[in-house]
Amino acid sequence: MAKDKEKVPPPICLQYKSGDLIIKEGDYGISIYKIIDGKVRISTQSGNTEVNLATLGPGEFIGEMTFLTGSTEPRSASARALEDCELEVWHPTRLSKEYEEMPPILKYIANQALKRLMRMNKAIGELIAKRAEIKGLAQKDLQASQRLFYRKEWDHECVYRPVGGSAKLRLLGRIKDISMSGIGLEVNATNRLNFSHQPGDEFFISTVLPNRKELDVTAKIVSIKSARAPGRLSMGMSFTDMTDEARKRLGFFLMP
Amino acid sequence: MAIDPLVYEYVANEENYPENAVIIEEGSNAYWVYVVLEGQVKVKKRTPNGMVTVNTLKEGAIFGEIAFFQEGEVTRTASVIADGPVQVGILDTERLITDWQMLSPQLKGLIMSLIKRLQEATKRTIAMVVEST
Repeated sequence: MAKDKEKVPPPICLQYKSGDLIIKEGDYGISIYKIIDGKVRISTQSGNTEVNLATLGPGEFIGEMTFLTGSTEPRSASARALEDCELEVWHPTRLSKEYEEMPPILKYIANQALKRLMRMNKAIGELIAKRAEIKGLAQKDLQASQRLFYRKEWDHECVYRPVGGSAKLRLLGRIKDISMSGIGLEVNATNRLNFSHQPGDEFFISTVLPNRKELDVTAKIVSIKSARAPGRLSMGMSFTDMTDEARKRLGFFLMP
Repeated sequence: MAIDPLVYEYVANEENYPENAVIIEEGSNAYWVYVVLEGQVKVKKRTPNGMVTVNTLKEGAIFGEIAFFQEGEVTRTASVIADGPVQVGILDTERLITDWQMLSPQLKGLIMSLIKRLQEATKRTIAMVVEST
């Protein structure tokens, strides 16, 4: 007995920073993680949508599904640290013998719970995918009916610099509104003294969305006029370039 | 589905219910664990839009296990209603508790985490179904 115990690797404590990926869906792994401190989000990919399945906290486990099903399948969901986390990682041998030998009735009950959980998770994924599909259709309708772009009023700071200018340059601007197609920006009129601000001029614009994700886009000036506030310019800009990721982030932010 | 002999071994009592009889009422305090012996039951939860059926359980299915594995104050998380005449078995709680206490804290923790996840996933599914109707 004592010998058996020696063979089991001891648990290891791991620290994760907020945003770190702990488990990636589709990867292979057999470890069980116990959350000691912090919050972890479990999510899965359903079509193009990231579906949040659960938020777990101290005392809860990740990777237990793989263990309980005894499967050699890849991980069925991703786990990401929502804040700085401390996790204890167990090698499954630590528990697998005990699990095998546990009273069959408990195993019977645990197995049923496991099957129900898997079914529920699948249902959640399908419901979210269906919802995203309906939303996608609604967005298509919006595009078809043209110029009915949903424009959101949003007073928020940003930095911007001319395309082709030094990458170190940071001009301050204030976003007034934003949509999937363009942005309304208010800037100090003095910015005009050093850099051209003409219709057609293109700028890189960076800001941080309320979910703390960065948004980087390229936009060109369509119209420019004095803002109501003295010494300020108001610019109507349309996006000329945006990564898929940025489009996704912005789309998420603009969702009613 | 035939009933596994190992489950029969734990059945301490059998009860018969007519159609639509409430076997477990959501919110009540109790922690018996049941198994469907004959017929089937519906698991229902209260929602702002009325009762929603979460699951239909057939012979051999365990129910009531969420309350059993919970710590502290225990209330039923869903109602279970006879879907036609049904016979259920009540499992021997004392034996279950004895079995449960034999497990290491690690394995207990793992199973309790699983039960909690199941409970949360169920809540979430219902919330989404209600929202979309």
